[in-house]
Amino acid sequence: MKKSFILGGLFAATTALTPAFAQDAGVTIVLGEEPDLVEPCMATRSNIGRIVLGNISETLTELDVRGDEGLKPRLAESWELVDDNTWRFNLRQGVTFSDGSSFDAEDVKHSFERAGSDQITCEISRYYEGISITPRVVDANTIDFTTEPAQPILPLLMSLLTIVPSETAIEFTREPVGTGPYVLSNWAPGQSITLERRADYWGDQPEVATATYVFRADPSVRAAMVAAGEADIAPSISAIDATTDMDVAYPNSETTYLRVDHSMAPLNDIRVREALNLAIDREAFVGTILSEGTELATAMTPPTTLGWNANVEPFGYDVDRAKELLAAAKADGVPVDTEILLVGRTANFPGATETYEAIQSMLSDAGFNVRLQMVEVAEHEQYYSKPYVQDQPILVGAQHDNSRGDPVFSMYFKYHSDGRQSGIADSKVDDLIDRATAATGEEREALWSELFAYLHDDVIADVLLFHMVGHARVGGDVDFTPTIATNSQLQLAEIGLK
Amino acid sequence: MRSMLGKRALSSFVSLFVLIVLVFFLSRLTGDPATLYLPVDASDEMRNNFREIHGLNDPVLTQFGRYLVDLVQLDFGDSLRKARPALEVVLEAFVWTLWLALITMLLVTVAAIVVGSIAAFNVGKPFDRFASVLSLIGASAPDFWIAIVGIVVFSVSFGWLPTSGTGTIWHWVLPISVLFIRPFGLILQIVRGSMITALGAAYVKTARAKGVRNRPIIFVHTLRNAMLPVITVIGDQAAALLNGAVVVETIFGFPGVGKLMIDSILQRDFNVILASIMVTAIAIFIMNILIDIAYALLDPRIRS
Repeated sequence: MKKSFILGGLFAATTALTPAFAQDAGVTIVLGEEPDLVEPCMATRSNIGRIVLGNISETLTELDVRGDEGLKPRLAESWELVDDNTWRFNLRQGVTFSDGSSFDAEDVKHSFERAGSDQITCEISRYYEGISITPRVVDANTIDFTTEPAQPILPLLMSLLTIVPSETAIEFTREPVGTGPYVLSNWAPGQSITLERRADYWGDQPEVATATYVFRADPSVRAAMVAAGEADIAPSISAIDATTDMDVAYPNSETTYLRVDHSMAPLNDIRVREALNLAIDREAFVGTILSEGTELATAMTPPTTLGWNANVEPFGYDVDRAKELLAAAKADGVPVDTEILLVGRTANFPGATETYEAIQSMLSDAGFNVRLQMVEVAEHEQYYSKPYVQDQPILVGAQHDNSRGDPVFSMYFKYHSDGRQSGIADSKVDDLIDRATAATGEEREALWSELFAYLHDDVIADVLLFHMVGHARVGGDVDFTPTIATNSQLQLAEIGLK
Repeated sequence: MRSMLGKRALSSFVSLFVLIVLVFFLSRLTGDPATLYLPVDASDEMRNNFREIHGLNDPVLTQFGRYLVDLVQLDFGDSLRKARPALEVVLEAFVWTLWLALITMLLVTVAAIVVGSIAAFNVGKPFDRFASVLSLIGASAPDFWIAIVGIVVFSVSFGWLPTSGTGTIWHWVLPISVLFIRPFGLILQIVRGSMITALGAAYVKTARAKGVRNRPIIFVHTLRNAMLPVITVIGDQAAALLNGAVVVETIFGFPGVGKLMIDSILQRDFNVILASIMVTAIAIFIMNILIDIAYALLDPRIRS
């Protein structure tokens, strides 16, 4: 009796002391940073979009990143061009928001106007800049958008506009209401965010009932949490930790490149720019500093983008040819000995400092006079965006993310004469961008293709380096494959339970 | 004693005001928050609109005047990033930091005093040597490395403790253990050195000659005299912890004020920078006053 009492006591004590961090029935996702807001109109910001997009909030259309269906219906069942400047969206019926109100065309109109309001700075609105867009409610289930100039990709742009109820105030909310399959049920700042599945969702019920997002800045800890069974998915871990069967590599839609400012000598000479490209042994980085699977870039956008040109070949490594080009330029009076500042951003990607150090060394071997400066994000921005620092010729090492399927989200900013981060001013490039932006179908694809080849082969606009690879760790209890869009959205409906 | 505390409080208030002025103007010299808050391809109009909404287009002196007027009414402004009152954001995080610092320093103080005293009484003997090695390792080991190794060993390999986060008492074990090591090593050395000096004093010899036993000699006669330098170092270490244990907060996902402060500086979230600096400064001022009181209690010369 006494013995069993002691054993019982020991059992009770052990149970009480057993760490209470075991899994519940839902999934736990560990992310690198906590969002400051869970605001639908900020969902194009990746740390917000990963939680909000397709989970809490939905859009009229969505891009199929898993298959090849292109643009798919979501809250809009179909869309059509009424005239050259007007798109009509026929909305899904029987959809309700998580607050119980029903979804209609007024909600779409309000969501658009709220996103563009000057009372708050919604990030989504930047995609509609420079275009005059007027929404007009035709009836409860139909809405027209009239644009000036014509916008052939307006349905694609609508894949970014998250829909909120028409009663939503024009100020940032901490209690987002959407039509998505989940609702925000708890937010403990600094600790976790929890979403719960809605019983009254209009579409198929996802398998995952609850999702808890936790935040750990250190990638090793994120990996360790999945290994220890505390989390099910870590969408971003470092390549160094990605050594187990649980780890999956995936193209993460980031392109690394050196932006060249063509306005300053010696970088205004095409031979010097070609020499820059030939002096870098890109293959040497893959599987060493950078992950296996990293692709050599020939364009600013990844190969999944419309018009990506498979005929454009990456520059090979030819240091002798680079030296010849520099010598020829020097003979013509180009000041090739001028010090060039190479600006890199600290912790921009795993191995960023080592990558830029290696590039500096390779460029020096070819005869360039390069000084490397690693800077934090705010200082980097001063070099990256106009007006540019004009003290000396500068190469800006940077990354650009485009998982949205169309180059229009990149090319104006990166290459148009008026682009905020463009290093070139070329009338043919401007013309191709303008025409491709306005074109549709095969013509659009061909124009983007032509632009990619022209920039890479004829202008040698910059030093394109790599299409990057990310690593995710996925626990044994769930079924999840990351996609090129995982950086910016992570739909819980795409997670299966084993 | 009262006048000493009054003087202390006044000088703390002046220091706090100087700190506010310095941080306000220096943080605004570091750049435009609109650049960081908005995406790189945002238009000038969007940037200007952001600055207008947050009053950043006004002259800096006007902004400072407005800030002081609000501050008098205990309004620390809103976080640019989180669209919430900055003070609320900071206090939420500071509570975590305060608990972490309090528990760690309590454990460190007790452990260092006990081990340091015993080591001082056994100079040159195995216990003393062991304690010296332990303190040297503790004082010199990089906490980042210890934290990662701790997670790999105790969480991933053995599964005894959670890797990180909050929620149960077990979540506190690894962060506190990591934070414990360095101040323990340092304070242990100070206690040991200070006790060795005190144990060599004439009054200890007299006590021994009178037949007083070892335990009262250590804990009654010498410890009180040896504590003054120890308290100084404890205060110093506690202040460092109150400023936030950034490495531990980053690795263990502990939502403390250190990481919040670093993030707000990187993001140019001015109101959060100011609120977090003010809250930690006030906490450190209060702690310094408590240390002064402790000095006075231990040393009658200070009281007089």
